[in-house]
Amino acid sequence: MNILLIFINAMLVNNVVLSRFLGICSFLGVSKKKDAAIGMGLAVTFVMAMASTGSWLVYKFLLEPNGLDYLKTVAFILVIAALVQFVEMFIKKASPTLYEALGIYLPLISTNCAVLGIALLNVQMELSLFGSLVNSVGAALGYFLAIVLMASIREKLDRVSNIPKSFQGLPITLVTATLMAMSFLGFQGLLK
Amino acid sequence: MLMNILIPVAILSVLGFVLALVLGYSADKFKVEKNPKIDELLFVLPGVNCGACGYAGCENYAVNIANSGAPLTLCAVGGPPVAEKIGDIMGVKVSTVDVMVAYVKCNGDCNKSKDKYEYHGLMDCVSASALPGGGAKSCSYGCLGLGTCVKVCDFDAIVIKDGIAIIDENKCTSCGACIKACPKNIIESVPINSRVRVACNSYDSARDAMQNCEVGCIACKKCENTCQFDAIHVNNNLAKIDYAKCTQCNACVEVCPKVTIENILMINKAKRDKTA
Amino acid sequence: MKLFLERMKNGLFTENPLFVQVLATCPALAVSTSMINAIGMGLSSTAVLVCSNILISMLRKFIPDKIRIPSYIVVIAGFVSAIDMIMEAFTPDLYVSLGIYIPLIVVNCVILGRAEAYANKNGIVASMWDGLGMGLGFTLALLVLGFFRELFGAGTLFGIQIMPSFYVPANMMILAPGAFLTLSMIMAFLNYRKLKQGNSSTDIHDVTAVGVGFDNPYNVKYQNREDAE
Repeated sequence: MNILLIFINAMLVNNVVLSRFLGICSFLGVSKKKDAAIGMGLAVTFVMAMASTGSWLVYKFLLEPNGLDYLKTVAFILVIAALVQFVEMFIKKASPTLYEALGIYLPLISTNCAVLGIALLNVQMELSLFGSLVNSVGAALGYFLAIVLMASIREKLDRVSNIPKSFQGLPITLVTATLMAMSFLGFQGLLK
Repeated sequence: MLMNILIPVAILSVLGFVLALVLGYSADKFKVEKNPKIDELLFVLPGVNCGACGYAGCENYAVNIANSGAPLTLCAVGGPPVAEKIGDIMGVKVSTVDVMVAYVKCNGDCNKSKDKYEYHGLMDCVSASALPGGGAKSCSYGCLGLGTCVKVCDFDAIVIKDGIAIIDENKCTSCGACIKACPKNIIESVPINSRVRVACNSYDSARDAMQNCEVGCIACKKCENTCQFDAIHVNNNLAKIDYAKCTQCNACVEVCPKVTIENILMINKAKRDKTA
Repeated sequence: MKLFLERMKNGLFTENPLFVQVLATCPALAVSTSMINAIGMGLSSTAVLVCSNILISMLRKFIPDKIRIPSYIVVIAGFVSAIDMIMEAFTPDLYVSLGIYIPLIVVNCVILGRAEAYANKNGIVASMWDGLGMGLGFTLALLVLGFFRELFGAGTLFGIQIMPSFYVPANMMILAPGAFLTLSMIMAFLNYRKLKQGNSSTDIHDVTAVGVGFDNPYNVKYQNREDAE
């Protein structure tokens, strides 16, 4: 498949949050402030790129040659968890400023369905190494887009509107997500 | 058959073992030396993460105190007791800090000031002050009473009474959120012990101020002439008190023709009782 | 028996994983497109939950504290792989419609959460009932979501046409927006009930809460400026 098509598909048409429902918990949790959302989005991009590369390599060179396709869930989760842990340690030591910016979100992402989900999808779609990298970065950027949009809306919503008591908190956030998902449905026609 | 079981077990075990080795080794190699004082400081800091100290939360402030020599008295929420404890941990004697509170410089409530028009719109001062004329109040410098400051206050210290914001000084922790949020810049940080304050923010000329509000400052300079301590000055049609020089003698309070200057304990005791 | 009933009530109502604890929203929103999918996902999650709770409870004295989370994840991943293969073999249609969400049961916060919060502190039987209660609670929540989505989005329930023929199904309910909307309405309804009973539902310290938690101060303003609109 054309690389550009993969990218657009991952970022917009099948947006990881608003269309595939991956990573919702962190999406709802971290989108209260725009700065936090930006930090989270960058962290997810970083982790997804690494995790999908790592899992692709493990699948291609360890599991597939030995016919161990059924072990991919276990293997991927091991690789992802270890990788995130390693990166967190590395960043904490190497660049404290970077750690301040996005390090605190790293543990939150390791058990995020989005990372494991995209890694599994890469295998399912039978993509090459570069293809899965593009797919993962595209998906992560889609997540970044969605979470920053949500944070900007929530900041305004918080300050300005008179929200009915029963809707305050999670319900109004979900209604916002509904409207965002509806607008993202419009991207369906992008790919023939 | 046996190989079918042994091979995956072997592969997965090797994978797990390798990862564990890598993690174990890097945990040692990338160990970050953490200053033990940071944990002690975190223990005494309030943990509210309000940012009033100017750092990104209590942990950030603790790190900066321990490693970068940040000033020890910046915690507004904790105040003098916390500053002293920080001093104890760092081995430095801390001089007590003047407790500050936020104060809304406006007494122009619905009874004392007029509206230019009936406002039906977003209950948000920032949005309303963007309108022509700076909002519905006839005084364009005055408190709009739409409650943006109430919304940002984490400590429940502000209420809107009669159309203006009033801050409960028992609850105010001087975190500064309302000061930053107010579009009219009408909230000021004052020492809690300075009881005499000018309750007006208007730079309008005398005639305009008198038209807009019964208790607005008309810059008559009677206060400046009466004060024996050089603590109050009128500039740009507005009186301002220098809290460092003010001795709370109440001379300006008694002489002000518009009752603009108030001693928050005495003359407006009735209003203070309502908010307590 | 008493323990069994208490754990069941806890999992189904008091601490329902989806509606009260707001966990595992990802699979809940994704697979509740129809009641059959909902039951399939719910029961498979329950199976994994019960099995992993039992095993972790058995091993709780042997797993060192520092590596407990990775160990739990490995145990859960093992069971999920097993369920995945069982479903592929015995329920192929369900396997296809649930798709990628079966392996994603591994990162289902409910399972890891219960392992951490209950199974590593309590006996085998108690953990088993707890797993069953939570799993059935999750299934119940999925069924509620699936009920509304399938009924309004396809006019059917379990594949049987329920809505009259003049009803044009609102396809949006089956798609992404419908999922968010249904969940938000249900949560708003639950908040409403909680408010009516007197407790304040909006906890300002909840990370997912966005609204203000105290009385609307504008009431004070309107009482004093003449006309309230």
